[in-house]
Amino acid sequence: MDVLKVNGVEKRFGEGELPGMLSDLLDYLDVNAATVVAEVDGQIVRREDFGRTELSDGQTIELVRLMGGG
Amino acid sequence: MDRLVIADKEFDSRLLVGTGKFASPQVMAESLKAAGAEIVTVALRRVDIENENDDTLAAIDRTRYLLLPNTSGARDAEEAVRLARLARAATGINWVKLEVTPDPYYLLPDPVETLKAAEILVKDGFVVLPYINADPVLSKRLEDVGTATVMPLASPIGSNQGLRTRAALEIIIEQATVPVVVDAGLGLPSHAADAMEMGADAVLVNTAIATAADPVEMAAAFKLAVEAGRRAFLSGPAAAERRASASSPLTGFLRD
Repeated sequence: MDVLKVNGVEKRFGEGELPGMLSDLLDYLDVNAATVVAEVDGQIVRREDFGRTELSDGQTIELVRLMGGG
Repeated sequence: MDRLVIADKEFDSRLLVGTGKFASPQVMAESLKAAGAEIVTVALRRVDIENENDDTLAAIDRTRYLLLPNTSGARDAEEAVRLARLARAATGINWVKLEVTPDPYYLLPDPVETLKAAEILVKDGFVVLPYINADPVLSKRLEDVGTATVMPLASPIGSNQGLRTRAALEIIIEQATVPVVVDAGLGLPSHAADAMEMGADAVLVNTAIATAADPVEMAAAFKLAVEAGRRAFLSGPAAAERRASASSPLTGFLRD
């Protein structure tokens, strides 16, 4: 069993089901990557690097985007 | 031409508009247009992964508006710096409206943490526009560390109370060598005009526009008020006097 903590929520994956890359995780979550920026274990990952950022068990991931604000 | 200059950019509009609290992206887009805004603030938040909320800011034409990400939600300097860096990665823009508001009731900015974060962000290459209480000494300290503006509040965020900090704002405006953007609490176009007549370089409005019954019309009203206030300031307002001073001649009356 592999676990990723995504935006404060623990996501559990069975044997061999952990998304390989950050871009795969976004597909799995059905999140439109075009407007998202990520942090993996506190390190900022730009959109263009989502496809080559490998994920591993136990990582903490933040997915954020711009929203209305003052 | 009387243009607003912040860092290396020039703007015709002196009305900055926030994008929060609008009923729909369409109303927001039309309101920004009616306001004639060129700088619009945005926030950075977690994606709701259980219920993908997609991009509510898709309605903003990014070729037309400079997006100014804020660090709202930050409770200390560390959180603000983290948010600013994420916002820069998200937008490719190195401008940031620095907000550190640990107090959830009045949302008053923390001066110590704001100064600390400003120093870090300026060194990291950011153009920093700090949201502050109307504190003339803090304003100078922020200028000293290299912020591009100061953004003192008129009254608490979203309160629509108007210029409750008038006396301190006057001192800030008198002493500032960077643009002064009066932010937060402006509830009516008359408040905005008042701030501009005092000599503020610009104002930032969100709640008063977004939560009006007709936001687009209110945005247009704020645009007129900001322009009127600026022109009045540049015209050199006549002095106020305690006693009357007749406007009509005091000779030639029809009496002996």
